[in-house]
Amino acid sequence: MTALLEARNVSKTFGAGLFNKKHTVALQSASLTLSDERPSITAIAGESGSGKTTLARILLGITQPTSGDILYKGQALSKLDRATWKTFRREVQAVFQDPFEVYNPFYNVDHVLTTPISKFYPNAGHAETRQIMEDALRSVGLRPEETLGRYPHQLSGGQRQRIMVARALLLKPRIIVADEPVSMVDASLRATILESLLNVHKQFNISLIYITHDLTTAYQLSENIMMMYQGAVVETGDVDLVIKQSQHPYTQLLVDSIPLPNPKLQWGQRDFTQRTQSNGAGPNLGCRFADRCPHVMSICREKLPPLYQTDERRSVACYLYKDAPVAEVAVAA
Amino acid sequence: MTDVLRVQDLRVHYHTPSGPVRAVEGVTFSLKKGERLGLVGESGSGKSTTVLALLRMLKDPAKIEGGQVLLDDVDLLTLSDAEMRAARFARIALIPQGAMNSLNPVMRIKNQLGDTIKYHNGNLGRSEMTAKIQKLLESVGLDKGVADMYPHELSGGMKQRVCIAMGISLQPAVILADEPTSALDVVVQRQVMETLGKAQEEIGASLILVGHDMGLMAQFVHKIGVMYAGKLVEVGPVNDIFEEPLHPYTQLLIASLPSLEGKGVFKGIPGITPSLLNPPPGCAFHPRCPKVMDQCKVKAPVFQEVRPGRWVSCHLY
Repeated sequence: MTALLEARNVSKTFGAGLFNKKHTVALQSASLTLSDERPSITAIAGESGSGKTTLARILLGITQPTSGDILYKGQALSKLDRATWKTFRREVQAVFQDPFEVYNPFYNVDHVLTTPISKFYPNAGHAETRQIMEDALRSVGLRPEETLGRYPHQLSGGQRQRIMVARALLLKPRIIVADEPVSMVDASLRATILESLLNVHKQFNISLIYITHDLTTAYQLSENIMMMYQGAVVETGDVDLVIKQSQHPYTQLLVDSIPLPNPKLQWGQRDFTQRTQSNGAGPNLGCRFADRCPHVMSICREKLPPLYQTDERRSVACYLYKDAPVAEVAVAA
Repeated sequence: MTDVLRVQDLRVHYHTPSGPVRAVEGVTFSLKKGERLGLVGESGSGKSTTVLALLRMLKDPAKIEGGQVLLDDVDLLTLSDAEMRAARFARIALIPQGAMNSLNPVMRIKNQLGDTIKYHNGNLGRSEMTAKIQKLLESVGLDKGVADMYPHELSGGMKQRVCIAMGISLQPAVILADEPTSALDVVVQRQVMETLGKAQEEIGASLILVGHDMGLMAQFVHKIGVMYAGKLVEVGPVNDIFEEPLHPYTQLLIASLPSLEGKGVFKGIPGITPSLLNPPPGCAFHPRCPKVMDQCKVKAPVFQEVRPGRWVSCHLY
């Protein structure tokens, strides 16, 4: 079975600039597989600086990994010929975080929709272009007659973000990579955007990669989740297992810190370490979480733990589970 | 218990070339000693404007058009500018949104904290001032070495704690916190909120937390005020609001919250926020309301106490 999109041990190191001699390891051998047969929703979750956006940009082919490979239908991205690269560009689409910055305020919103159409369907006439745009807008729950021809400032953040989902849809992609699509819109509108993403997945069989720092929406939307901390994957697998029965101390800490919208479930069920976040400047030898971990052992500071397969559908990078076999593939979605 | 803060019929308009924008229109609430009130609402609902109006820190084109802000029976809106300056921080303090941008990048933390204290308490001796600043930093869980640092040497969570330290430095009666953790990660957010709660309880202040994160509200406040289009539409104890929201907007808001129960069901609130320049007649929520009646379209509902402690502005009650 060839995977549709596969990341094989990708790493990315930034830095060593003119003034700053330190390297920043933004991503450390992350692996991810999206199946070609069954569309899936995978969440990549972590705090700021966890490397989730770097991974997204590498998956989209915007950023080159320092090592490792991205395979699209079995071919390495770096070695694609022009025609296949164009197919990849069409079939893997992105929705970005900020629905305010992606628009040029001088063009009306039709512009972001017509540009990809003229690039990928050069033969489409005026009427056909209009039809494609209207269909895409309707499938994200927008009324074309109220949307087309308007300028970005005349639309709300939620509407703009849904137009971005529509834009991604236009080209009938196989995969949509959504990088924090709801973090800049109001709470009441978040649900509508996530709903349109879910509909798109169900209706058009598109696989989603949902990048977020919000574990509640990740839980609601996805089947699989990859938890990241300072560039390393700490826990990955079935979302129910990872969130509801977390094994990695970091995942446990995060799940425990979610402010649940229920006054009866208060914070502080679990012991909470008060350590401030380390800034990643220390030696990168051991587990990144060792400084904050309540269960830290001496081995944690010596060697980065591999992913242990603790469950059929979940693996954890923590020496607490070192009796389990080392995992072969990270996420097999 | 007596009310520390009573806000009555507060109205703030932004005077724009296209006419007045009614950002805050008749907001009334009260706050008891030690109580924590959460103000929630979408962006543009007037929650931040309300907070800035309480401090009289609004800038042109915003103007307070009327109402009363009674802090221990003194109307802040009638004070002279000098009197108001003396009251800020000492009686009513602000912890701003985005701590990243509210500290002066070229001043050491101790000088920034010292500025506030100096203005209100006059010059303390050097050792007295150092001791006071160290105690303040310790009370928000920071190392005393932070006093000699510059803001860029601190993480976001640490900067926010410095702002909390500044807010409590003069032991105000009321603390206003405007989305104090919106830029922070969840783990740090929890630490900062716990620090804020502890500091507030220590000095016995009342607190208003502004935000749109209902989860954070559920964890932190005692009472919730829901704002929509410049008006308070519902006020009540936090447990009651989550268990049995009365206003249709609050009901939709609570139903739209993601939680760790129930998967793959998303319920958004249909429609968009009305323009405050030209608000719909009657109840401002009627175009989006699932329970809309004829009178909602013509007559604005009155904000009234429908049950003990539960205030709602809706024709259903």
